[in-house]
Amino acid sequence: MMAELHIELLLGRRVAGPDGEPVGRIEEVCAEPAGPDLAITEYHLGVDAALERLSASSMSLFGFRRRRRRGYRVPWDKLDLSDPEHPRLICPLAELAPLESQ
Amino acid sequence: MELVRDILDKQVVDRHETKMGKVDGIVAELRGGAPPRIAFIEIGSVALARRLGPRLGRLVSRLSARLGGEAHRDPCRIDWHRVRDIGVDIGLDLDVHDTTVFDWQDWLRDHVVGRIPGA
Amino acid sequence: MNKLLEISLGIVTSVGGFLEVGSLTTAAQAGAAFGFRLVWAIVLGTICIIFLVEMAGRFAAVSRHTISDAIRERFGFNFFLWPLIATLFVNFLVLAAEIGGAAIALEFATGIGFQWWALPVALVAWLLLWKGTFGFIEKGVSTLGLVTLCFVVAAVMLRPDWKAVAAGAVPSLPGHDTARYWFIAVSILGASISPYLFLFYSSGAVEDKWDKSYLGANRAIAGLGMSFGGTIALGVLIVAALVLAPRGIADVDDYHQLPLLLIPVFGFWGFVLFCASLGIACLGAALEIGLQQAYLVAQGFGWNWGEDLKPRDNAGFAAVYTLALLMSAIPIACGLDPLKLTVFSMALTAASLPLTVVPFLFLMNDERYVKEHRNGTIANAAVLFVIALGCVLAIVTIPLEILGG
Repeated sequence: MMAELHIELLLGRRVAGPDGEPVGRIEEVCAEPAGPDLAITEYHLGVDAALERLSASSMSLFGFRRRRRRGYRVPWDKLDLSDPEHPRLICPLAELAPLESQ
Repeated sequence: MELVRDILDKQVVDRHETKMGKVDGIVAELRGGAPPRIAFIEIGSVALARRLGPRLGRLVSRLSARLGGEAHRDPCRIDWHRVRDIGVDIGLDLDVHDTTVFDWQDWLRDHVVGRIPGA
Repeated sequence: MNKLLEISLGIVTSVGGFLEVGSLTTAAQAGAAFGFRLVWAIVLGTICIIFLVEMAGRFAAVSRHTISDAIRERFGFNFFLWPLIATLFVNFLVLAAEIGGAAIALEFATGIGFQWWALPVALVAWLLLWKGTFGFIEKGVSTLGLVTLCFVVAAVMLRPDWKAVAAGAVPSLPGHDTARYWFIAVSILGASISPYLFLFYSSGAVEDKWDKSYLGANRAIAGLGMSFGGTIALGVLIVAALVLAPRGIADVDDYHQLPLLLIPVFGFWGFVLFCASLGIACLGAALEIGLQQAYLVAQGFGWNWGEDLKPRDNAGFAAVYTLALLMSAIPIACGLDPLKLTVFSMALTAASLPLTVVPFLFLMNDERYVKEHRNGTIANAAVLFVIALGCVLAIVTIPLEILGG
């Protein structure tokens, strides 16, 4: 039996840090081709989570580019998804690269 | 590629450019020691209902199985390798009639819509 | 077909399709109760819809998506459910009002009560959708809608004080019945800026297979078509002001008062023209809204859709418009007063604007969809104004309904 993960259900899930403190919400899942497959490379966590899909866009209203968003990029192996409803970060926050506006 | 931005909720078309539905779900396979790989896309009301809540998902799943048989308890899954093109739409390398996606529309056509003259 | 012909046809269909039970009723009420003092509401509503419709066409031509399809795709299904449900509900009410309007026209013509005409009208509309193609419906029925130009002719023939009309284009406070004044203003705005109008326009652009080469045609059609359409609503207001008010009819609260509008100008033919105008305009709107219900659902869920397809080839799509027409006919068949329903649903439409226009604003600025044809500052300002208007309307509608409705 394949261990499954539903990407659409991950959206907006709160991610806890290694000490249990809330880190952010999953906003996006990045994937790259790896051989014949498409493999997940990293997860994007947003700290201001309310309207994730509104932020992750290439938009400029009245000439203002979206400011730098607070968030983190989590490599695939640093997120523990054994309980998909409660994802946990495996590494300390300091090790994560910040999310920069596109 | 960003899965939420580029794949999820996108229109899916088959080999003949027939609209099949939207990507209602994406299923990844968790592999220990290797990054999860994208295995399937899901299309169907069950996948949609699940996004609104697990109880609603179970309800729609039961309803779907009651109306359409066991084959419709779970949403229609399409192997990721069938995706041949990601652009304005997600193009699949198969024929929609080889999947269960249109079963309800076919039922509607045969039992309701098709019975009305002029269809 | 060369572009000039397409533009002309597009303008004709926009003009012919502009008037419907909401714009007619609210314009008549405005004229009867407040003379020319609500001209500005029609002007404002028309300007706003010009902006929205031009954007809808531009969006569809460049992105090759319709607006509902893109809202789901861009914001996700969970968010999409809100504008979907709100718009389906508001459309249900407006569709019922349109069917009611056509039924009233038939009651005037035959003397048989409008309740009896509800299902036949729905049946005729359904038959046209079932057997017709998009081109036939859009162009055929809308061209017939040009009969509504009789209101413009009547307005001119009544020789109004044009200076007073122009003065009405500037908002002013009434001397009396302030609540009612603002309620009618809100209803006029709701009738002019209905979401189904610009949503349908984007679906139509995709049905007609518009691409980037249509951007200029789109601007012409949106600008000229909606402007000329707005003058028809203006015509109704002027006629009502000059015909109903002097006869002491300050409140159009009984639909039997409406045929009076054109009789002083055209005599018996005024009665005929009124019935024809009301009937055709409402039938056309019923077709559009019925289709729009199906577009909303089919595009949101990714089903096969297209009016040109035979019903058996898009069973889901056909089933939705069939159900929509049937469900909307029922309140009218049960005797619900179409006039009261119209006024109520126009106010509700205004209140529901933010739910569709806010996502639309984001879409019109998203490069991934409209590429280099993003909204400029003026267009964005116009949309933000509509959103602000919608929010204000959402707050004041219920109190005004109670106080002034």
